[in-house]
Amino acid sequence: MNLLNATTRYYLLLALLLFVGGSLGLYYGINWALRTEVSEQLADRRRELLAKAEANELLPVDQLAVLLDISRTPRPLGFRDTVLLDRIEHEMVPHRQLTFPLTVRGEGPVWVSLRKSLVEAEDLLGVVLAVMLSVLALLLGGMVALNRWLSSRLWAPFRHTLAALRQYDLQQHRPLALPAPAVAEFAELNQALNGFSQRLVTDYEHLREFTANAAHETQTPLAIMQAQLEQLLQVPALAEDPAAAPLVADLYGATLRLSRLHQALSLLSKIENRQFAEAQPVRLDQLLEEKVAQLEPLFEARELRYGLDVSHGPVVVQMHPGLADSLLQNLLQNAVKHNVRGGELAVSLSKAELKVTNTGPAVEGDPARFFERFRKHNAASESPGLGLSIVQQICGYYGFGVDYSVAKQGTRHTLRVSLSPTAGVPAKRSSARLAAQG
Amino acid sequence: MKILLVEDEAALRTALLSSLKQAGYLVEAAADFAQAHEKIKLYQYDCVLLDLTLPDGSGLDLLRALKADGSPAGVLIITARDALDDKIAGLDLGADDYLIKPFHLSELNARLRAIIRRRQFQGQQQITFRDLLVLPELAEVHVRGEHLTLTRKEYDLLLYLLANPGRILTKEAIAEHLCGDAVDAADSFDFIYTHLKNLRKKLQEKGADNYIRTMYGVGYKLSHE
Repeated sequence: MNLLNATTRYYLLLALLLFVGGSLGLYYGINWALRTEVSEQLADRRRELLAKAEANELLPVDQLAVLLDISRTPRPLGFRDTVLLDRIEHEMVPHRQLTFPLTVRGEGPVWVSLRKSLVEAEDLLGVVLAVMLSVLALLLGGMVALNRWLSSRLWAPFRHTLAALRQYDLQQHRPLALPAPAVAEFAELNQALNGFSQRLVTDYEHLREFTANAAHETQTPLAIMQAQLEQLLQVPALAEDPAAAPLVADLYGATLRLSRLHQALSLLSKIENRQFAEAQPVRLDQLLEEKVAQLEPLFEARELRYGLDVSHGPVVVQMHPGLADSLLQNLLQNAVKHNVRGGELAVSLSKAELKVTNTGPAVEGDPARFFERFRKHNAASESPGLGLSIVQQICGYYGFGVDYSVAKQGTRHTLRVSLSPTAGVPAKRSSARLAAQG
Repeated sequence: MKILLVEDEAALRTALLSSLKQAGYLVEAAADFAQAHEKIKLYQYDCVLLDLTLPDGSGLDLLRALKADGSPAGVLIITARDALDDKIAGLDLGADDYLIKPFHLSELNARLRAIIRRRQFQGQQQITFRDLLVLPELAEVHVRGEHLTLTRKEYDLLLYLLANPGRILTKEAIAEHLCGDAVDAADSFDFIYTHLKNLRKKLQEKGADNYIRTMYGVGYKLSHE
């Protein structure tokens, strides 16, 4: 329910109540006024008859009885409502009746009943009510029409703002440039949002620069640490002490992990900063075969049964070769890492998509979060959990879709990369479509 | 074997220098573009280890100078990871190979060996170590004159060990050598163990000495003793 509909609903409710109240009031008011009017007319007629009787101008009773309802026996006096048969229309019609005594000279008192039909008054009421109801209907229709018009005209800037916000992507490094519409509230909203996005972009830019600088400055000390530790391992004195060498080896291993983490993070930040030179045609099928051959010992060590299907002919994609390499490496490594000993691994490549399926323990949680940075299934794992994040970033960079699905009670995991750039914008970041089935 | 090391980071230069000297090379070092340029103009080297990012110039210009002089020296480029495009440019200019920082010193030795071997057409095309004879051209291994059949990975592993005799090779370095540099080493120690076990078994079946030593918790070493 939108805001206008909500307010209109209350307006309509109020209008309905007022109309019902008004109609009732009008009905009883008009009814009362008409009956009073008829009564007054009857009273006038009585006064006239009484005056004529006083002046002895009345006809004899026998003749008078033709014109008036006259009785020689007493009748209840005063006003009454009664129903009489209309001779012309042949139906019962309500009448107002006034009965009073009249003294006709020489003939003694008689009782006269004067009557007037109320049928016109009822017709009038019907007309009044019909008018009221049509006005109500018109008001109702008018409200709805006005609502439509307002929502298309007045709320257009708001909708524009909303669309701009939905499409906003911080990674484009541009603040929102929303116009200032004529309506003050919307203008203020847009102004606030513009300021907000400007701050966001500045903060993001600072963070980005910081990450890039930190990455660059960390690289050299890491290289030095690694080289010196490797040299330290060669020192003969170390070989004589069985406790010392593993300590240095652990230190060396930790340095390697740090430098691997560093590499992954700088790769991510490079992709985000769009620092990769222009794409060139990459034979993905050849590269995939190379990668699988390279990782073969890893498959064998985990006793994986694996299959590679590149039978759909050469697949050429426009990519930076380094990123293509990284994409395949991370996909394959992910499939090995989350596999079980003696499990399966299947890779197939066609012109439309790259599909990696692997067996593995069921994973809990939201599949969308698997692509988050530092997301680990096993908290004790030595890997920093950046692999899928890199996959997602690379795919986003080239507009490829990534899709995760799981089948067989969560023990068969499939990652699909659709190779056709969505919407044909290579540099546009597309959100990963994620679906968990089964 | 004379090698020129061009590297501007002092600490890294020291480590590389001592490692290369241990491996038996004659090494000279240059800390910047000017020094390196002077040295390559004055002397002949068998191989140049070239860091591409130098404070006073680009390593790529040194490479151009070398090639312009028609130098026979092999060139191994050392590059930062975020300079992938420099790496490609270097290979286009005629560099023999590249290493991405940070790298394992044992990997550097193996690459250096391979470059030198490729460049010495007139030299001996064989590697000998105790009772072992390897003919890299034919990818053949002989133990005490007997032919030894190895799988591709076992052969790679043996060559890697032979490129670093007497040197402790960490399991991480072996894993990366066999499976590419981005392999998560922790995942891959199992397969090194398997391959080494098989290699040792095959060597012993042919009566070779047990010269592949396990350094507990560290890695492996091809022992002279």
